[in-house]
Amino acid sequence: MLGEKALELIKEMERSKDGKLPAYNDNCVRLVLEEMTALFQQNQDDVNATVAGEAQYYPGIRLRHASLERNKRCLLAYLYNRLERIRDLRWDFGNILPPEIRENLCDPEIEWFARYSKNLATYSRSLGEGSGLDLTHDIKPPKNIYVEVRCLKDYGEFEVEEGDVVVLQKNTTHYLPMSSCQHLIRLGVLQQVD
Amino acid sequence: MFRSQTVVKQTNPRQAEERLAPKVRDMLVTDLRAEFYNLIKSQRVLVLVHFDLDGICASKILQVLFRTDHILYTVVPVQTCTQLLEAFQQHAEQVKVVLLVNCGGCVDLVEALQPPDDLVFFVADNHRPLHVCNIYSASQVRVLTQLGEEDEEVPAFEDVFRPDESEEENSSDDDGGGGGSDDEEGGRGKRRRFDEDVLEKRRQRRLWEQQRHKLLFDYTQFSFFGRSTALLMFELAWKLSKDSNDLLWLAIIGETEMVLHERSEPGKHLLTSASLQTHVSRLNPKPAEDAPRPPSDSLRITFEKDLTLALYRHWSLVESMRHSPHLATALRLWTLKGEKRLHELLAEMGLPLAQCRQLYCGMDVELRNGLQKMLEGKTDKYGLKNLFFMTFSATLGFRARMCASDYVHAAVSLLERPDSDESPTTCFLDAADALDLTKPEVLGRGIELRKQQLEAIYRQVQTFLDMNQVICAGPFLYATVVQGTPDARFFAAPHSLNLLATFTLRAHVSTSRSRKSRNLPLILTTPDVKYPEPDHCLVCGIPPVSEETHKNLLGKAFEQAAEKTNAKADLDYFDTNVVRLSVEDRSKFFDALISLLS
Repeated sequence: MLGEKALELIKEMERSKDGKLPAYNDNCVRLVLEEMTALFQQNQDDVNATVAGEAQYYPGIRLRHASLERNKRCLLAYLYNRLERIRDLRWDFGNILPPEIRENLCDPEIEWFARYSKNLATYSRSLGEGSGLDLTHDIKPPKNIYVEVRCLKDYGEFEVEEGDVVVLQKNTTHYLPMSSCQHLIRLGVLQQVD
Repeated sequence: MFRSQTVVKQTNPRQAEERLAPKVRDMLVTDLRAEFYNLIKSQRVLVLVHFDLDGICASKILQVLFRTDHILYTVVPVQTCTQLLEAFQQHAEQVKVVLLVNCGGCVDLVEALQPPDDLVFFVADNHRPLHVCNIYSASQVRVLTQLGEEDEEVPAFEDVFRPDESEEENSSDDDGGGGGSDDEEGGRGKRRRFDEDVLEKRRQRRLWEQQRHKLLFDYTQFSFFGRSTALLMFELAWKLSKDSNDLLWLAIIGETEMVLHERSEPGKHLLTSASLQTHVSRLNPKPAEDAPRPPSDSLRITFEKDLTLALYRHWSLVESMRHSPHLATALRLWTLKGEKRLHELLAEMGLPLAQCRQLYCGMDVELRNGLQKMLEGKTDKYGLKNLFFMTFSATLGFRARMCASDYVHAAVSLLERPDSDESPTTCFLDAADALDLTKPEVLGRGIELRKQQLEAIYRQVQTFLDMNQVICAGPFLYATVVQGTPDARFFAAPHSLNLLATFTLRAHVSTSRSRKSRNLPLILTTPDVKYPEPDHCLVCGIPPVSEETHKNLLGKAFEQAAEKTNAKADLDYFDTNVVRLSVEDRSKFFDALISLLS
């Protein structure tokens, strides 16, 4: 069936909506492109024949053209959806991607990610009258500047923004600025106390 | 950075004669808002909390206050003096303010912890007697408390600290003998010409030192408890107008813990109850007839008369009666006759036995409502004296009503859990969670644990009494939990051991025929199963039943006996009536105690 491979690409994206970005399906994309080339070739021949005067190829041409456009739309949707997800990764993870995600991206995508990061960084730096504001820091407006956290593991000394050094020993409770703790909360060393 | 206390005349000994000795009431910080809270507003605070429920409640109140004022803090739980020292060394590098809650008041802090000069300690400790160096410290150690009568017994400054030798005059009116010189070499050197003077002064100094020794000994002989620290912190919150029902509930739990563990005197407890009750009525006003009802998920506290049966709302009536010290002792439930008396009591009140054996919440509503009245009617016949007490209970939304003592039981049992795989500090955090009103499942776990613990205590008391293992050793009664008892794991912690001891003593006094046993303290020892080294035991001493003020001289006695026998005793706990010994040293330790106390 025409257009099946392209639909597979779309289904793959749909299935992985809530999970990890799947690996770049180079194989499938190549097959779709091959199908498109074959269709185009056939169309080309038929168009040449029609121009020469035979009118019975017209429906076939229209069908192939429609299918070519469908394949093109599917491919573009696939690529764009991946780019959107990679862009969200930048907001979630920051500048450096963890290796298990990096291996699922193809080279042009990695290059795109680097350029997007650079753009975002330049823009962030230009905000706040030149002093810069990290936009990816707080996605939701923070309820509190400080947060009470409990230490789950022995971490050792930790420097808070204002310069105070806190010793993170297991089972101690601390009240610290949110921005300093967020990283450790994500790592699992600290636990927020509601 | 810290303004010196304006109320106190500085006791700089290098000043000349016009030195006024500080009075105790000036040295204690009673205005917490001005002299404590306002000073720490821009600082980072290290809070060291003792492992007891009053301390946990006080620290939770303080945490709420600090959060509203964005005061950064770190809370570290400590159980013994060594842990205090370790925690201090680890955490106090960058802080300028250390707050000690329920620990460290009876220890000379400056000497033990060797702090840098600009570090300030605030001590809010309900243990008494407070160390004189802490009370009279000029500005490094500040004691937060309310003035009470026990402060009249603190030795006067001039009796304890020698005036400087640059002063020739005698400093005062005290009965401590002369002031005079101290023994700095330079001073004596100048006066070597006047031999007689020197001898006279030395004699006076010796007299003074003897007097001082005696005064300090009398002062530290009895250890007891002052007011609840949680209540102190609640009053601070009230003065700052930041109090709320939640904080009041925490203060109530702290105060109830002191009552349940027999730490506060009955007379004083009445006064604090009354003041708590005024707070309760202020924060929980009775809604007017047609006013809109308060939101149903808010906390409402009430003050009412309640039974002293442990956990009776979460257990069956019979079980609860059996495991509560007051009722069990009155009816002597560990004997066969006692069981019959219990059944008689229930039958006379008209409660069907089948229902009494079920969970309390499964009993008929009329029976539950009438229970208190029926028991009141029977108090004389069965001698149930201490069955009722006035206490507080809380309802939160549509949950069942919980009384303060339930919270205390549950939280304390979580604090001293018998299984040893979790570190003590995790247990501390669990106990703190149990008090959190948003986490009822932790409280439920605590209640179940407490039931097991009370059953174990009851079984042990029964063993003691059935086999007559409470022996009179002369000046005190003595009981041992045998090594290898499976229940011993429930007793290997200070609070549980104290509970077992109180129950045992009461039970013994009620069954023994000699009148003397009412006046004898009890010393109980149990194998310490939680300590990593084997063959250690915990020894706990409680004052006699006739001692109303709960003043305990066994702490000091333990210290002296350990000194005399050079036993490897671990006098580390802040509750000085509990010590850890190795089993070999135990018998000579007890011999030394017998000779000391007789």
